[in-house]
Amino acid sequence: MLTQAPHPVPAVQSIPHVRIEGLNKWFGALHVLKNIDLSVGAGARIVVCGPSGSGKSTLIRCINGLEPFQKGTIQFEAATLDKDGRDTSKARRQTGMVFQSFNLFPHLTVLANCTLALRRVLLKPAREAEEIAMRHLTAVHIPEKAQAYPAQLSGGQQQRVAIARALCLNPRIMLFDEPTSALDPEMIKEVLDVMIALAGSGVTMVCVTHEMGFAREVADEIVFMDEGRIVEHASSRDFFSRAAHPRARLFLDTILSN
Amino acid sequence: MSLLEIWLGILQGLGITAEVTAYGLVFAVPFALVFGVAQFLATGMTRFVVTAVIEFWRSSAVVILLFFFYYVLPVMGVTLSALTVSSLVLGLNAGGYASQAVRAGLQSLPPGQREAGMALGLSRPAILLLIELPQALVAMSPTFVNNLIQLVKATSLVSLVTLTDMTFRAKEIAQTDYDPVAIYSALLLAFFVVCYPIALAGRWLEARVNPERGTSRGI
Amino acid sequence: MGFNLDFALSTVPTIIGAIGTTLIATVLSCVGASVLGFTFEMIRRGGGATGLAVRFLIDFIRSTPVLAWLYFLYFVLPFYGIRLGAMTVGILGLSLYYSGYLAEVFKAGIDAIPRGQQEAARALSLTRRDTVVFVIAPQMLRNVAAPLGNYLVSILKATPYLAILAVPEMLGRAFDIASETYRYAEPLTVAGILFLALALLTSYGVKRIEQRLLAAGRR
Ligand SMILES: Nc1ncnc2c1ncn2[C@@H]1O[C@H](COP(=O)(O)OP(=O)(O)OP(=O)(O)O)[C@@H](O)[C@H]1O
Ligand SMILES: [Mg+2]
Repeated sequence: MLTQAPHPVPAVQSIPHVRIEGLNKWFGALHVLKNIDLSVGAGARIVVCGPSGSGKSTLIRCINGLEPFQKGTIQFEAATLDKDGRDTSKARRQTGMVFQSFNLFPHLTVLANCTLALRRVLLKPAREAEEIAMRHLTAVHIPEKAQAYPAQLSGGQQQRVAIARALCLNPRIMLFDEPTSALDPEMIKEVLDVMIALAGSGVTMVCVTHEMGFAREVADEIVFMDEGRIVEHASSRDFFSRAAHPRARLFLDTILSN
Repeated sequence: MSLLEIWLGILQGLGITAEVTAYGLVFAVPFALVFGVAQFLATGMTRFVVTAVIEFWRSSAVVILLFFFYYVLPVMGVTLSALTVSSLVLGLNAGGYASQAVRAGLQSLPPGQREAGMALGLSRPAILLLIELPQALVAMSPTFVNNLIQLVKATSLVSLVTLTDMTFRAKEIAQTDYDPVAIYSALLLAFFVVCYPIALAGRWLEARVNPERGTSRGI
Repeated sequence: MGFNLDFALSTVPTIIGAIGTTLIATVLSCVGASVLGFTFEMIRRGGGATGLAVRFLIDFIRSTPVLAWLYFLYFVLPFYGIRLGAMTVGILGLSLYYSGYLAEVFKAGIDAIPRGQQEAARALSLTRRDTVVFVIAPQMLRNVAAPLGNYLVSILKATPYLAILAVPEMLGRAFDIASETYRYAEPLTVAGILFLALALLTSYGVKRIEQRLLAAGRR
């Protein structure tokens, strides 16, 4: 059952950056994504939430080609992902990914983490790559750690570096998979602040998170998933005030009561 | 000679291979236990001496150890049979390796185990025998299996001090038959047949003892 | 005929003179074993029929003694018309034998790298090759450095096996002296002490490097 948003969602009406149609994904016999349709407009800020195992990570990972899928398409402006995965590298160039566990390269400095893809993928000269990297490190408030190694940073600092690293390639859309759930409570805010600033700068983002405060403040659309389906897709205001699906209500009640 | 004859000829040496391994264990097991525990418990000068003895046996090249004891002991007036010297040297060399597993196993136990024993009023030897050693030996059992395989393989050296083990038999057959491919393949195969089942047992043990690390493979 | 200290001391220069051969054999065998072991592990990782065959080969190598491999190569290669010097055969034999162990070292070194590293590299659009060169290989090298160092010491301790093929490394020289003078005790004692010292020195050096790497890893 797909509940229509009671009000038209503004961002969806501009030219979509990504249009997902009829996406289906199986892990062996396990059907984890069922007929997912979702348009991500330019500048859209979408928060994806839902109970554990509902397929949120899998959806995000399909969008940037980390997971192959069996049915449906994911259309970017200049690339289309389908079950054959031919355009995977093109699609990936348009997306930036931030993982729950940061996944910084431990043997490289913060700066080298950021410049690696600039130099090897975009073939930028060293000087220019470093300038770009420093600009993004400054934006996430951590330029002074450029020469540090990931192990010398706190979790919150590492995640901010990971965000800068993804931004360096100037992606059309940023994907976040629970970026704060591996962090100690006192570090969550510094990462959310960076993400809020990012949203303010007009970057398109799809973010899996259970930080409902963040969702309320930043998201213009909320996607609620359950058992591999999108069961609620509404503007943020509508979602919090009158989510229709009982699972979504239950989810909101438990999350908000904590 | 047919392939089967070569194979059977080599297997005539299996008795010596087994004998050296068995007598080797007679030296290896007590050495590993006593010196492993001693290195764990001892401090200061005692620990230095214990470590020196262990290092002599495990850091020396086993080939040299064997020749050394085979040729030097008689000069010192000690005459032992080739079988005894071989078992002693190979056994203590293997025991030297195994002692490190014993010590590491004891060291890696959480201190809470000993403290719980003390809280129950057990004496230090009782804690060692009833609480620490059983856990350490079980945890390290896959390593001991590897040590055993290394011992079996090292017995091939006794062919150099006149014992007619499988390796010696292969060389004997090679003197009458010019068929090196068959002979030395058969020798490799003979050892494989002995050692591989032990390795499989070791993997099984590893999966039992250490389920989360079950992917690491024996031998 | 007791132990003659003067004679023993007189053999020291000759035996030490062969240290170059011992070290060359050690280093070349270690390089050969690393290259071969890494190749084996890559093929095994690839899976399929070849992967399975290599997996079996690794198990086979690890279940058979190094001495049997040395004989195998020494006698079988000429049978097929391949004539190599004893030193070359020895290095090949040690390389082949230890490749079975180093394949496991590389396997563990790669398995220890979290999956997320490859995913992050893919998400950054790095090519397969760049991912291996810039992300996987540096982390693997850091993981394998310590066990590789330990195997370097093991290989050093295995080089006296080459004396059996009449390679003039340190033990070989000791035997040369013994057969000229009919005195075994002194040259073997000297060779034993020198080898023990060399092994302890090398393993001390390896530990030092390991600690530096660990410190670097904690940066
Ligand atoms: N690699 C995999 N192989 C097999 N099944 C998988 C794999 N990854 C995920 N799954 C299964 O797919 C389903 C969806 O998983 P997914 O990780 O997308 O959920 P999620 O919504 O992100 O949950 P969480 O909130 O716990 O992160 C789950 O049932 C999970 O067990
Ligand atoms: Mg998830």
